[in-house]
Amino acid sequence: MGQANKLEHQIKMIDAFKGNDTIALKEFYISNYKKIEVLILKNSGNLSDAKHIYQEAFITVWNNIRNDAFTPANNSTLSDYLYTIAKNKWMDTVRSNQYKKTKVLKSEHTLSIKNEGDKTVIELEDKKISKAMEAFKNLGQPCKQLLTTFYFDKKLLQDIATELILDETSVRNKKFHCMKKLVDNVFSIKKP
Amino acid sequence: MKDNSNISQEIFEAIERYINGTMEPSELKDFKDYLKIDAEFKSQVKDYRIIIQGVKNQSLKEELNTFHDEIIKSEIPKAALKKARYLFISKIAAMAAIIVAIGSIWFFSSSPNQKIYANYFKPYPGLTATMSDTENLDFYDAMVYYKQKKYDLAIEKWQVLSNKKPDNDTLNYFLGIAYMANKNVDKAIPLLQKTIETSHSGFSFIYDAYYYLGLAYLKEGDINLAKKYLTLSNTNISKEIILELPN
Repeated sequence: MGQANKLEHQIKMIDAFKGNDTIALKEFYISNYKKIEVLILKNSGNLSDAKHIYQEAFITVWNNIRNDAFTPANNSTLSDYLYTIAKNKWMDTVRSNQYKKTKVLKSEHTLSIKNEGDKTVIELEDKKISKAMEAFKNLGQPCKQLLTTFYFDKKLLQDIATELILDETSVRNKKFHCMKKLVDNVFSIKKP
Repeated sequence: MKDNSNISQEIFEAIERYINGTMEPSELKDFKDYLKIDAEFKSQVKDYRIIIQGVKNQSLKEELNTFHDEIIKSEIPKAALKKARYLFISKIAAMAAIIVAIGSIWFFSSSPNQKIYANYFKPYPGLTATMSDTENLDFYDAMVYYKQKKYDLAIEKWQVLSNKKPDNDTLNYFLGIAYMANKNVDKAIPLLQKTIETSHSGFSFIYDAYYYLGLAYLKEGDINLAKKYLTLSNTNISKEIILELPN
């Protein structure tokens, strides 16, 4: 693939991420998984670790693209970016106390060490997001559906209302009601 | 994180617009100003941002799980095929090993005498029916079974007759060779022995009786007795066997 084509492909992929193009995202997800699975299995992880780390990295990439924190460069493809994030996440896991004592990492690559202060803030925020994810996971299906359509699919309220054969105000009220329920659920999760 | 559930719908929607980046410039300016002066409100906005992020991440994660199922689905047939092929190969290997094992057990365990016995022992062909009285009918019924290689049934029938006439050389001879044909040499030996001992002069099967008794002792590993009876048999085939036996 020529550099120009490569860049064009990157831009197309970024559009797919931004527009939640399920077919393109699925293709990208499936085609990049194996490489990361191999990395994790080689470095004292199992299949469940591989899936978990890969999905976390994928979510990070998705968020960074949507927040314009990633801009394509000729030499750095989206696949490389995903791989690097997954690798860093796995190294952090391996380095954490749970793994430090028992397992040895077999990587030739060294990693840039993050500022410890920043890391704590990021970790704290990650924990809060995980808690929100857990609460959302267990929310009732109608609320889940509505909030997903609005925040994830980024559909307009009036379009959602048309689909549900409701007026926009009812949908807006329902969304607020669902959000209150979700917030309640987040606060009812006990701190680990 | 503080409990934000008492928030009004109006304020919540303003925060939401701010987070989603859909605020009009004038509203955005006011909102930002308010964030600067109210730390508590700022933290509340931050919490909402995190919760909305959680909704997005979990929605994506659930979609990724369906993608992941496809990776697993596409791997199962490959793994199953690999396993099936492995099983097939290992079955063949196991069969080959068993064949080699049985073959070598047979080859190494069978003494030269056993081999000679296996080479020479052929069941006596049997007789054709020519008699007509009842007892003889039973005798030839058994002979039919014998010729059909149904040795168990032949033995059963001959045994009934033999119980009535325990010293009948012909009956004992056929019972003996039936047991031999049925791979029961232990039972054949006393019967053949008795045949020889009780045989009347001119007994038509005497040389055959010696021959089979010789073979039976060969099978039992008693070379001396085998030689003795084979010599008594005095047939060309007996002489041939004797030459093959160790001195």
